[in-house]
Amino acid sequence: MTPARTFQDLILRLTSFWAERGCLIVQPYNSEVGAGTFNPATFLRAIGPEPWNVAYVEPSRRPTDGRYGDNPNRLQQFHQFQVILKPSPLEIQELYLDSLRALGTDPKRHDLRFVEDDWESPTLGAWGLGWQVWLDGLEISQFTYFQQVGGIDCKPISGELTYGLERIAMYLQDKATIYDCEYGPGVKYGEIAKRAEFEWSTYNFERANVPMHLKLFDDYESEVHALLSLSREKSKGNLLIFSEEDPLKRLLLPAYDCVIKCSHTFNLLDARGAIGVTERQRYIGRVRHIARAVCETYLAQRTAMNFPLLQTGTV
Amino acid sequence: MATQDLLIEIGVEELPASWVKRAVEVLPALVTDALDAARLTHGTARAYGTPRRLAVLVDAVADGTPDVEEEVIGPPKSAAFEEDGRPKKAAEGFAKKNNAPVDAVFIKKTDKGEYAAVVRKEKGRDARAVVAEIASALPSRIPFAKSMRWGTGDLSFGRPIHWLVVLLGDQIIDGNWGGIAFGRTTRGHRFLSPEAIQIPTASAYLATLREAHVLADEDERRRVMVAALEKRSKAISAHVEPDEFLVYENASLVEEPFVVLGSFDERFLALPDEVIVAVMRGHQRYFALRGEASREANQKLLPKYFAIANTAIDEANVAKGNDRVLVARLKDAEFFVAEDRKKKLAERIPKLDGIVFHHKLGTVGDKVKRVGALAERLGGGPRSMEAAALAKADLVSLIVGEFPELQGLMGRWYALQEHLDAEVADAIRDQYLPKGAGDAIPATALAAALAIADRADTLVGCFGIGIVPTGSQDPFALRRATLGILRIALEGPLATDDIGSTLEAAHAGLAAQRTPFAAWDVVWPRLEDFVRARLRVILGENHPTDVVEACLAAWNLKSVRDLSKRVAALDAFRAHSAYESLTVAFKRAWNIAKDTAAAEPDPKLLDAGAEQDLWAAFGKIRTGMQACVSAGDYAGALNLVATDLRAPIDRFFTDVFVMVDDARVRENRLRMLRTIAESINAIAHLHLLGG
Repeated sequence: MTPARTFQDLILRLTSFWAERGCLIVQPYNSEVGAGTFNPATFLRAIGPEPWNVAYVEPSRRPTDGRYGDNPNRLQQFHQFQVILKPSPLEIQELYLDSLRALGTDPKRHDLRFVEDDWESPTLGAWGLGWQVWLDGLEISQFTYFQQVGGIDCKPISGELTYGLERIAMYLQDKATIYDCEYGPGVKYGEIAKRAEFEWSTYNFERANVPMHLKLFDDYESEVHALLSLSREKSKGNLLIFSEEDPLKRLLLPAYDCVIKCSHTFNLLDARGAIGVTERQRYIGRVRHIARAVCETYLAQRTAMNFPLLQTGTV
Repeated sequence: MATQDLLIEIGVEELPASWVKRAVEVLPALVTDALDAARLTHGTARAYGTPRRLAVLVDAVADGTPDVEEEVIGPPKSAAFEEDGRPKKAAEGFAKKNNAPVDAVFIKKTDKGEYAAVVRKEKGRDARAVVAEIASALPSRIPFAKSMRWGTGDLSFGRPIHWLVVLLGDQIIDGNWGGIAFGRTTRGHRFLSPEAIQIPTASAYLATLREAHVLADEDERRRVMVAALEKRSKAISAHVEPDEFLVYENASLVEEPFVVLGSFDERFLALPDEVIVAVMRGHQRYFALRGEASREANQKLLPKYFAIANTAIDEANVAKGNDRVLVARLKDAEFFVAEDRKKKLAERIPKLDGIVFHHKLGTVGDKVKRVGALAERLGGGPRSMEAAALAKADLVSLIVGEFPELQGLMGRWYALQEHLDAEVADAIRDQYLPKGAGDAIPATALAAALAIADRADTLVGCFGIGIVPTGSQDPFALRRATLGILRIALEGPLATDDIGSTLEAAHAGLAAQRTPFAAWDVVWPRLEDFVRARLRVILGENHPTDVVEACLAAWNLKSVRDLSKRVAALDAFRAHSAYESLTVAFKRAWNIAKDTAAAEPDPKLLDAGAEQDLWAAFGKIRTGMQACVSAGDYAGALNLVATDLRAPIDRFFTDVFVMVDDARVRENRLRMLRTIAESINAIAHLHLLGG
């Protein structure tokens, strides 16, 4: 197989590779996320007993990683290709290596390694064990077996594969900087992203309105409490208290959007240097609290709906 | 009896290096303990591990266990049998457990009484059955820091298990773990030998895998790797920076090590060496290279490095990829340093006001003001205030944000680039000393004062707001901070070594700035215990516990060097011929007199002979002893006690009965003993010696 020549070819090849292996191809989420994990197609679907195989591209924003377009591979917005296989098949590593071959990479001609990288998201109350995948010292993917999401034990276990598309493109196109890579025939990645990197880096580090974002965080958090009828208090044993007992009467999905907004707002404030060390912990705790409420509500809703995907048996 | 080697191999998806290390440490005992418990004799066991496998090989396992015939003692007779001799439930259970009919249970007389007993007979078992049991229990018994589940199953291990090899000699043992059947099929190197491989016999394990590009023995991988590093560095006239961490880490990340030579643009050498090494070591696990050691001027860092690869059929390809990653990392570091240098350290200081140290203790800006004032008080000199703030300015630099381990080092580098005073620059680096037990302590008064003041402020601050370490909970590393304070006070360049006053001054600074703050008499009692406990640790390294305790009891929580002198003097005094008898005598004196009111005895009431002699002997050395104690000459003081009091006090206890009926005489006698003991307590509480 010849190497994928352009960024879009890379996306197309991964998409068809995983579609051929039974994954639904869904679209990126339309809100600012730090990683494909935030997309409800991963974060919510990993919860509960229903099978789920899905793949999608996720433009991911990490304000603190901005370098004004000056660094060859650090970007405040990059693209992940996300795959969820639930339950995780035993041959998942081999499937992943096959996908690299489909991109035109022979792992044997490189130094390809699975290096310990246990994943934990304190804001999402989620953790899993897995690896970074290194190709000649370059981290090109992350690989996680989810064990817990939103404080809920996963059963069955989902396997999450996350490809770092920019890095893989640089390597496949043999370019020292992402901006020189071809996005599509005749158009460079730099044309698509360089000005954006400069503007967003300036915004994230220097210009974002701090009081406005501090208030946004509070407002989105309040909205979650309202939409889920969630009490700000926790009961003994740290249980969440919902004043509306019927989970189907809670507005889970809008609430989850507000959690995503809180998380992004927090990241932005962090890049702006507006959050101190101990404050950080408190903000993280606040996001975790509402993320957990969303997850518990999701599980309660699916239970009430009698787990539709278990009924059809297919995805 | 015939013996055979036993092999158990667990084939897994890539395990973390530290988990493999721990598993390899515990595996031999896990297996041999189980063999011993089953009475299956065996030779030595060795464990092997790579990211993809854990294995244990046991020599000379017997082909079966011997028949057993042994007497087993059970429940007491009364619990096993009715009065009329009929067996109770307990006897039936006992018999069943030992594979015997109930009428085989008999009564055995022992030293402790009469018990039910039985002769347990057990047929020897075939080794294969024993091994199957052990092997199917083994995976679940290996401890991991975390374990995981996978797929739909309930199995739990460090990473998903793919195969299990269990061979006794050349025989596959029949069995499974969680449905994964035992076999002889293993896998070689993931890329260099991906086909399934059959292990013909247990003892051929290492050799079979070696053929398949797997060095299962980590020692062997390390040796091969170090030899390759040496050979390759010699070839390019370079010298590999010795780094144990990297050797172990890299050997544990591969199944077969290959050395790959990479390089980067010379322009990056303008970065501080520490930054380049931190980037290569921390992120990429590369070995830094320097000019050959023999030529002094050539020991500069070279724009080259060695990476250890698991697969390197095409070294140029692998090197190219690694070079590119390193360049991106170095560019990042360059970006950080360039951005950082746009501002002077002093200009960063206001930013410290925006970082919360702890919401009850204020910002880092608040803290450095307290630390500066305290450092000046401790003898840091007139630049203390300025240096305290500068010392934390690199915490808000980008490079330290990325490489926290470079705090202090980068502050110093930036300070030197700005041509700040060299002593201040060094203090920025050395404030973090000592970083652990055995590390150097700050050399200058300024650095030492900053180092103590910073830690004292954190320590007293935390105790003041109720953050007190308990068990393994010590989020602010207060134990280590306190050990640091004490070591600097003991060995450092400062004139003052008064721990009590230092901490009280730290408290005064906190109380003045963070009102309301817990009062000193509330904070001090717990803090005092905490400080004493750390002193026990430090002094206990070189002196017996009871000596340290005796001196701690006599000490006023002020000069730590004074305490150290007492401990040294008393420890040396243990070799004195009078030591044993004096400690016995003073222990006795203190025990009977400690509850007596502290008051001088009336000499007129003392009996002639041993009692008056003791008082006279004490009178003779009393002032001299006090003078020695005041001057800190504890060896001198102890010497006076030994030469002048040993005989009189021994004679006193031989000749004089203390607790006489006459209350006046008795009370006076106790007062004398108490007066003498107290005056010796000023050196050390000898009554605490000898446990």
